Amino acid sequence: MARHITLVVAEARAAGPDIRRLVLRDPDGWPLPKIKPGAHVDLDVPGIGLRAYSLMGDPAVADRWVVAVKREAASRGGSAWLHDGLAEGDTIAAAMPRCTFPLADAARHVMIAGGIGVTPFLAMAPVLARNDADWVLHVLHRGPLPCPGDLAPWIESGRAVAHDTRAAPRPSLAALLGAHAPGTHAYACGPQAMLDAFTEATAAWPDGTATIEHFIPPALPPDPTARPYTLVRASTGATVEVQAGGSMAAALLSIGGSVELSCEGGICGACKIRWIEGEPVHRDRILSAAERATHVMACVGGCASDRLVVDA
Amino acid sequence: MNIVQSPSAHASVIPSWVGVVAHLHITPRAFLPMQAREEVELIAGEGIVGDRYRIGTEAGFYSDKPEDGRQVTLFESEQLENVRRDHGIELLPEEHRRNVTTRGVALTHLVGQRFRIGPCLLEATRLSIPCRHIEEILDKKVFDPLINRSGLNCRILEGGMVRVGDAIRPA
Repeated sequence: MARHITLVVAEARAAGPDIRRLVLRDPDGWPLPKIKPGAHVDLDVPGIGLRAYSLMGDPAVADRWVVAVKREAASRGGSAWLHDGLAEGDTIAAAMPRCTFPLADAARHVMIAGGIGVTPFLAMAPVLARNDADWVLHVLHRGPLPCPGDLAPWIESGRAVAHDTRAAPRPSLAALLGAHAPGTHAYACGPQAMLDAFTEATAAWPDGTATIEHFIPPALPPDPTARPYTLVRASTGATVEVQAGGSMAAALLSIGGSVELSCEGGICGACKIRWIEGEPVHRDRILSAAERATHVMACVGGCASDRLVVDA
Repeated sequence: MNIVQSPSAHASVIPSWVGVVAHLHITPRAFLPMQAREEVELIAGEGIVGDRYRIGTEAGFYSDKPEDGRQVTLFESEQLENVRRDHGIELLPEEHRRNVTTRGVALTHLVGQRFRIGPCLLEATRLSIPCRHIEEILDKKVFDPLINRSGLNCRILEGGMVRVGDAIRPA
């Protein structure tokens, strides 16, 4: 558990239709890692794995994180467990939050949320308000509002506009967004159909002025020389396909290999493994030429041939 | 490092040094922010009360790799200035994730040596190395800039209270 953040459910309440709002804190009330507005956190659902949820609390509040989880009918178990399997006082493990949906440096911010997709914008709202920014949040929802308590002050101030698509026709995203004006940045988070409509509505906008939130980890920085390869464990014959730029160490662990990880930057030597066949690409900073003839650092190493056979 | 020479004109010159504790920080668990303290308690053979790497109650990122010589860690405040100068990155005393921020001590010279920090006696076991983990926590690209300037790992031979402003000197 050392490589997770341990959190306690300080509060669990309903927050709209099939939505459960969880306030998560350190067991001793210690400040939590700083987050950026728009960040998400991976929560470890027992027996299922990591599930990503946007952090919706004010990033300036250091001692708690807030998530809102909608029970999904097609859930693979994550949202069901967070609704039914987790009670106030229970602990849950989390990974370090990441922000793949940051606030842009823009003069005006136009945000489109679909249902529970409002959550990242609820973290952005207090930051924008403190910065005296020009912004508007359109919340498209069907029936009762998602996270009504958190949205209420922004609706009252006129910054957030709720569009109940059960009571009125769904508004055109093109109409909500308008034509691109210099300095404007648009954001969307919600169901895929809404994201598709957003993409279409902003197709003519300048590059980088319209962003969408997907819960997909950020891609590794592209390495123009990296290529996919097959990693083979000599002792068992087990193989795994490593994507271009992917982690050799992670791939090796996935097929039962033995590799220690520490710095994960190619300088500590913990993940040094012996290679037997193939053409390893060395990106470490510590192995000598002689050592590279027989060993590779799995945390940063790659492969220039189709296969790499290792003894680990 | 302040070099102090013998006052005797006839004695051979014996270089010595004295530094000072500039900041103290601890955190109870991996990933959590380091918090400043005016004083911390060092327990011989274990670590710092309340810190993640105290042996027996370990909860640090690297606690799955037990290390007797990681009971307390030190970092030179001068390296914060060097990282700013060389790389334009502002790294704060609470961000390097070592326990003791020193001023006036060449930590890299102390590996294998014993020295006093306030009333406590430490033995330097090895240079610290940076890890990618810190970039994840800080969202700052400091891994490369911290290579060879990432501080010192130490074992606590004699414990006690260490306070900001305490002297650091050879044993």
